[in-house]
Amino acid sequence: MQEMIRVAGLYAGYERQVILENVSFGVAAGEMVGLIGPNGAGKSTLLKTMRGILAPLAGEISVMGQRIGDLPAKEFAKRAAYLQQHLEMTFGYSAREVVLSGRYPYLSWWRQERAQDIAIAEACMAYTGVAELAEKPLQAMSGGQRQRVLLAKVLAQQTPVLFLDEPATGLDIIYQEEIFRFCRELCAAGKTVVLVAHELSLAARFCSRLLLIGRGALLADGLPREVLTAERLTGAYGAPVQVVENPLTNHVEVFTEAEKGTGRKSHLLQVILGREEAAS
Amino acid sequence: MKNFYEKRTFFLWILLPCLVVLAVALSMRSGQYDTSVECVLAAFSHAAGLPFFSDVTVTPEQQAVLWHIRLPRTLVGLMVGAGLGISGAVLQGIFSNPLADPGIIGVSSGASVGAVLAIALGVSAVNVFSLPAFAFAGAMLAVGLTVSLSMRHGRIPVMTLLLSGVVVGMFLSACTAAILTVMNEQKMQQYLFWTIGGLDYRRWDHVLLGIVPIASGSFFMLLLSRHLNLLAFGEVEARAAGMPVTFFRLLFLSLASLTTAAGVCISGNIGFVGLVVPHMMRLLIGPDHRKLLPASLMAGGVFLVACDSLGRILIQGMEIRVGIMTAFIGTPYFLYLLRRHMKLSS
Repeated sequence: MQEMIRVAGLYAGYERQVILENVSFGVAAGEMVGLIGPNGAGKSTLLKTMRGILAPLAGEISVMGQRIGDLPAKEFAKRAAYLQQHLEMTFGYSAREVVLSGRYPYLSWWRQERAQDIAIAEACMAYTGVAELAEKPLQAMSGGQRQRVLLAKVLAQQTPVLFLDEPATGLDIIYQEEIFRFCRELCAAGKTVVLVAHELSLAARFCSRLLLIGRGALLADGLPREVLTAERLTGAYGAPVQVVENPLTNHVEVFTEAEKGTGRKSHLLQVILGREEAAS
Repeated sequence: MKNFYEKRTFFLWILLPCLVVLAVALSMRSGQYDTSVECVLAAFSHAAGLPFFSDVTVTPEQQAVLWHIRLPRTLVGLMVGAGLGISGAVLQGIFSNPLADPGIIGVSSGASVGAVLAIALGVSAVNVFSLPAFAFAGAMLAVGLTVSLSMRHGRIPVMTLLLSGVVVGMFLSACTAAILTVMNEQKMQQYLFWTIGGLDYRRWDHVLLGIVPIASGSFFMLLLSRHLNLLAFGEVEARAAGMPVTFFRLLFLSLASLTTAAGVCISGNIGFVGLVVPHMMRLLIGPDHRKLLPASLMAGGVFLVACDSLGRILIQGMEIRVGIMTAFIGTPYFLYLLRRHMKLSS
C-alpha cells in the first residue's frame, strides 16, 4: 500500500504551549483513521498541524512523499482538504458558492470557475444529497444540512487525502452515521480519511484504525478492537471506563462507570435542591 | 429561487447603469443657474459635433457652467462615490465584518492629519495640489502604520488589524486636534470646510488627480473579486483551499486604501458611503463579491451624485454639503432595508 501521510517525531502546539510530544505514525492509502481521546488532548491540534494550518514545533510531516513545508499552498490544497470544526460564516453565502470555493486550487488567479468546475461542484452536492439546497444560504441550514454541504465542498477539492475535524459532532444519530458511512465509502474508493471523532462506538464501527491521544502523546495505535480496551481508555480519559461487545450487533460499546456517591456529593445535591444549608 | 437570480441580474446590469445615467443628468441640470435636461443634452451633442438637438440654443454662459462647473463636479462625485463604495465592500470582505468601512484602517484620520498639516504650514494656499497630496500621503502612512502594527510572523490577524486601526485612528485624531489648537481662526475654518467633505468648487484638476488611482484601484479589485469570496470565509478556510492569505489581504488592503485615499484627498472626508452602500447592495443582490463589487461601485457613484444634486435643489439659493446629505439620506434608507431584511428572514 502506498503511504499517504508520514508523521515523524512531531511536536505540535502553540508558541508557548507544547500540546503533543514526539508523535510518529504513517497512514496508507484507503485507510480511515479516527483520532480519539479526551477533550483538550490535542486531536484538533494534530489535525491542524498535519494540514499546515498550524506550524509544527519540531519533527516532520509529509503528504504523498513530500514534506508539507516544501509544498506550495495550491499544490498542498490539491493533495489534502480540511473540514473545520466550527465555521463561522458572516455573510449569507449559498451552498453552491461555498462548494465552488473548493475549486480554488485549480484556478489561475485571473480565472473564474469553468463549466467543468461547476459540474464537479454539482456532482459533489448531489453525492452528499444537498443538490436541492444549492441556492439556500448556509446560515439558514440545520446542522445536518450544513455539514453535508461542507463535506461536498471538501470533496469538490478532489484531494486524495481528507482531514475532517469532528465532522459528525452535534448531529442527529441518523446524520452522524451517514457522515461516517460517506467516509467509509470514500475510503473504499481509494481516498484516505483522517478524522477526529467523539463518539467512540461510531468510531469503532466505521474506522479501519484508531489513534488514541491523551496526556500529550500518542497512547495507542491500531485496530479499533485493540485500541478500545478498558485499561487504555481509563488511562487516557482519567476516569473508569468499561468496554463491552454488544452480542446483538457485534459492536463495541463504551461507557463510564458511575462514581460512588460520597457523603460530600450527596450533601452538595441537597444544597442544590435547597434542602440543606451550604457548609463552608 | 431562480426568479431571485433573474432579479439580481436585472438590478445589477440594467437598473443600476440606468440610475447612473439619471443621477448624472440630475446633477448636470440642477443648481443655482437653471438649465433644462434638453439644454444639457444639446450642449453634449454640440460639443461632440453630433446632429441632435440642433434647434436648441445653448448660451455661452450655459456652456461654461456645464463644462467648467457641473461636469467636473459630477465626475468627481461619480469617481469618489464609486471608489468609496467598492473599497467599503472590499474591506467588509477582508474583515468578514459588515460594519467595516474605509475609516477603520486609519485612512480618514491619516488624511485629516495630512490636510491639517498642509493648512497649518500654509502650503495649501500655494498650490491646489498640495492639500490633496498631503492628505494622500497621510492616509497611506496611516494604513502602513496600522498594518505594520498588526503584522506578526508574516500573518495579519483580523482582530489585531481592527484594533490597531482604532488605536492609530485615535492617535492621529489627537495629532490633528493638537495642530488645530495652534491654528488661527481662518485656517480652522478652512480645515472644517475640508473635513465635512463636499463636491463644490471641484475642477478638472481634481478629476485628473483622482482618475488614475481610483480607476486602477477599482479595476484590480474587480479583477480579483473571486479571491475576496474565499477571504471572507475566514483565514483557516482560505488557507485550507490553498490561498496565500497574507498576500491577498495585503493586496486588497493596499488597493482599497489607495482608492479611498484618492477619493478623500479630492473631496474631503465623506462618511457613510463606504459603510452603507455595500451593505445595501449585499441585502439586495447577495454576498458574492463578483456581483457585489460592480454593484457597490455603481451604487456608490449614484448615491453620492444624487445626494450632491439634492443638496443643491432642496433649499433655494443655498447648498447643503454632500457629506451632510449622505448621512441624512442614507440613514433612514439603511434602517428601512435593515428592518425589511429582518422581517423577511424571520
